[in-house]
Amino acid sequence: MNESAAAWPFALRILHWVSAALVLGTLGFGVYMVQLVHDTAQRFDLTQTHKSIGVTVLALTVARLCVRMFTNAPKPEPAAPLLLIAAKAAHIALYALLFVMPLSGWLMATTTPVRVPTVIFGLFQLPYPLAPDLSAYRLAHAIHVVAAISLAALIALHIAAALMHALLWRDRTLMRMWRGY
Amino acid sequence: MSISTEPNVARTRALIRNPGRTCRLFVALGVMALLCWTGAPAAIAAAQGWRIDETHTWVGFKIDAVGFPTTRGHFTHYSGRILIDFERPAKSFTSFTVDSGSVDVGSQSFTDFVKGPALLDAEKFPTLAFTSTQVEKLDARTARVTGNLTMLGVTKPITLTVNVDTDPSAKGSAKERVVAFQATAKIARSDFGMLFGIPLIEDTLEITVKTRALTDE
Repeated sequence: MNESAAAWPFALRILHWVSAALVLGTLGFGVYMVQLVHDTAQRFDLTQTHKSIGVTVLALTVARLCVRMFTNAPKPEPAAPLLLIAAKAAHIALYALLFVMPLSGWLMATTTPVRVPTVIFGLFQLPYPLAPDLSAYRLAHAIHVVAAISLAALIALHIAAALMHALLWRDRTLMRMWRGY
Repeated sequence: MSISTEPNVARTRALIRNPGRTCRLFVALGVMALLCWTGAPAAIAAAQGWRIDETHTWVGFKIDAVGFPTTRGHFTHYSGRILIDFERPAKSFTSFTVDSGSVDVGSQSFTDFVKGPALLDAEKFPTLAFTSTQVEKLDARTARVTGNLTMLGVTKPITLTVNVDTDPSAKGSAKERVVAFQATAKIARSDFGMLFGIPLIEDTLEITVKTRALTDE
């Protein structure tokens, strides 16, 4: 990014909102299927869908970062320096978690002794690069759970900040991500 | 109705063949429980044929797991053979086979996985088979049937506990006698080389067969 743009590029806005919908969906989906679904067959099918969405989020996040690298981002709306730093840190953390979540899930699927092929939306099978390993699975599971809780908290913060921008400070931050200007 | 008052069973020797494509098999397990009737009064033909009540038969299994719900499934295709000797239970015999590809665990994708190479490997091992080797009467309502189970090409002895109910709530027709059975066994699937998911999925696999046997009076 060399110069700031006037608005977020259309591709980034689309990727942002599609990712937002999928991430919120699969977070809720993950909690639902683990906590509330006690039928094995249903859990089996839901897990496949959960993993498919997770892989889609990973692909979209890679695409977003690529688009970010080759496009200019608009300058932040004026704010206190500390707030700008906090916002930057939160955005970096969000990106990091958008990688950690699907990658730790992939690691779980790869290392679990209950190794079920992951077929993305019934189209192709996800490769499993590692051998089953119970301790690696438990570590990946712990990371997945902690990352999920962290991501949910960060999303709440992200939404709260966006609403603060729109409703309290009445700047263009939220609109720039929605309409582009 | 207590077992000891049941007529028509002593001295019965029956050979039932159920080579058909569908539900016939596990009456064998249940019928083994009939052997606990050896003290019943005599008054019956030397041989008597029993048949399975297909509408009251269920051949299933259950397996627990950590972090995953208990999996329950059943088979829909099986066949069996029974030889019953009420006077000499030890002479009784049963054998049966189950079409491993007929497993059903609730959804097509999960069923396909269970049929696959990780678990039943139905393509390579299309049948599960049981052949009894010993029948013991435990009490008036319970029998113990020992036999060899062949799964994934490995044959190992297993023991089934068979409960018998000679007075099930739903009777057959006026000319029929009905006996209900429930046979259960817990096996270590690792003995048969089925290692998938251990230890997150338990090694212990519980087999349950519920059935009713019918015979004409």
